[in-house]
Amino acid sequence: MEAMRKLDMFDIISFPVILVIFLLFAGMLFVFFKNALPALEHFGIDLYIKNIWQAASVPQKEVYGIAAALWGSFYTSLIAILISLPISAAFSVFIVDYAPRGLKNTLAILSDVMAGLPTIIYGIWGAFILVPFLRHWVMEPLYRYFSFIPFFHYPPVGGYSYFSAGVLLAIMITPFVSAIIREAYQMIPFTYREAAYAVGATKFEATRILLGYIKPAVVSGIILGFGRAVGETIAVSLVIGNTFNLTYKLFAPGYTISSLIANQFGNAFLYTYMTSTLFAAGLALFAIGLTVNIIGIHMLRRWEKNVQV
Amino acid sequence: MFRFNPNRKAVEKGFLFTIGLLTVVAVLPLFYILYTVTLKGLPVILKRGTIFFTGTFSEGGIGPAIAGTFLLTFLSSLIGVPLALMVGMYSYENPRSVLGRWTKTLLEIMMEFPTILVGIFVMAVLVIPMGTYSAIAGAFALVIILLPYVAVYTHEAMRGIPFTYKEAGYALGLTRIKVLFRILAPMAKRGVLTGVLIGIAKAAGETAPLLFTAGGLYESYPTSITKPVGTIPLLIYQLIQSPSPQDHATAWGASLVLMVIFIAVFIPLRMSLKEVKL
Repeated sequence: MEAMRKLDMFDIISFPVILVIFLLFAGMLFVFFKNALPALEHFGIDLYIKNIWQAASVPQKEVYGIAAALWGSFYTSLIAILISLPISAAFSVFIVDYAPRGLKNTLAILSDVMAGLPTIIYGIWGAFILVPFLRHWVMEPLYRYFSFIPFFHYPPVGGYSYFSAGVLLAIMITPFVSAIIREAYQMIPFTYREAAYAVGATKFEATRILLGYIKPAVVSGIILGFGRAVGETIAVSLVIGNTFNLTYKLFAPGYTISSLIANQFGNAFLYTYMTSTLFAAGLALFAIGLTVNIIGIHMLRRWEKNVQV
Repeated sequence: MFRFNPNRKAVEKGFLFTIGLLTVVAVLPLFYILYTVTLKGLPVILKRGTIFFTGTFSEGGIGPAIAGTFLLTFLSSLIGVPLALMVGMYSYENPRSVLGRWTKTLLEIMMEFPTILVGIFVMAVLVIPMGTYSAIAGAFALVIILLPYVAVYTHEAMRGIPFTYKEAGYALGLTRIKVLFRILAPMAKRGVLTGVLIGIAKAAGETAPLLFTAGGLYESYPTSITKPVGTIPLLIYQLIQSPSPQDHATAWGASLVLMVIFIAVFIPLRMSLKEVKL
């Protein structure tokens, strides 16, 4: 029916703008693909599954494989989510259920300030304060007394490592993840709470039941939080150590896709295939970011629809 | 689950304690950051005085970076805000059509999109053809960052207006464009303005999209939008990687300036709202 409507001025002005936005996005995908093509053709799948970084002035000697960066993106984001999830959930529950009215608002504001704070501030704080702090109080003791556990079996020399990046990312995504969980937790009908307490549940048991009820929202919070962590560039590149290192050892320096791009793109034009390789890395990040966010947004929407009935 | 557990009360106590403790853990970093940046940045600014805000880099100041931040923010909002308003209104006007729904989804994806990718995209389409880093390339990258925020806020703000106002407008025989711009937009003014400010706050604090687009300019004030320009976050990023303690001091001072600007814009904004999308 709507399609039959006659076009008016608004359509004529707004449609080109919408077109531009979609073209911009499609253009982005195209630019990444086109620029990645030389490296994809030259190295094939090895580009994504091998860990090698050999820059050379002769194109024939150049070999790149970004497996370490792919792993680093995944690993640091995983660490971040594992740390952030319990904190975010507890934070949300505290704000909704237990904080007095005044504190409730203050905590929500603080959380939003954290979510909006420029990432470079996290970066400078992370590089100069958090890394030395973690090295001295967490990594060195763990290495000294628990290095028989493989995860801790790496000397934390500089402190710049997967672990530092994971912790910094956890701090950065917690306000974001907790905002999603909080919103969902607030939407739970009051009768559910009453019901839980009416059958004699303790606060712990009631919270467990209620969190179970918003599980889809928690999962989409995890997914979207993961997406944020994967895409974060500046703060991570300042604390991760920027070394090609394909390992699960927490205290080893590493790379992520975004920090690899930030770090190498500036001098990549000196080599034949490096720019293209970095675009291929960007293409992978593009694909991951797009998939993760579409799934997360979709889940969240579906859940909201179910609740609002 | 329904087994009788004699420790239920103890578990509850432990649970409440843990919740409280984790809440403190969640917000503690913010205070630590505020504290450190002030502690490290303030002495630098006090020592150098007004030269810190107006001087060039070799004079010990970040004047060009401050000017560059304002220039880029201004340019990007000049281009981005009108576009974003149209996009927001479009998705408000077409909530059920396929394109309208896709627009909404695209905006949400753009909000979460890795910003470094925006940077190298703009590098490929603007910087390389132009042959130089430039303010206009940086501004273009920031447009892509700020647009989804402004558009989503516009959309939400207009959706909050009772439908009867729209009907009243049409009943008067106004065209759609008049209804949208003369009746609904002024009513949604507050929400739209919020979106604009949040978008600007985001854009002003971004580093990654500017790494390979704006270039950097710290020894003189920007004079042309086709020449490289520096911003505060970009300057901080470059200074952190320098080995010199003098540069680190400047970085802390610049961080304090950036943080104060952000908080001065953000806190009043946030206080006047129930919730924000970031």
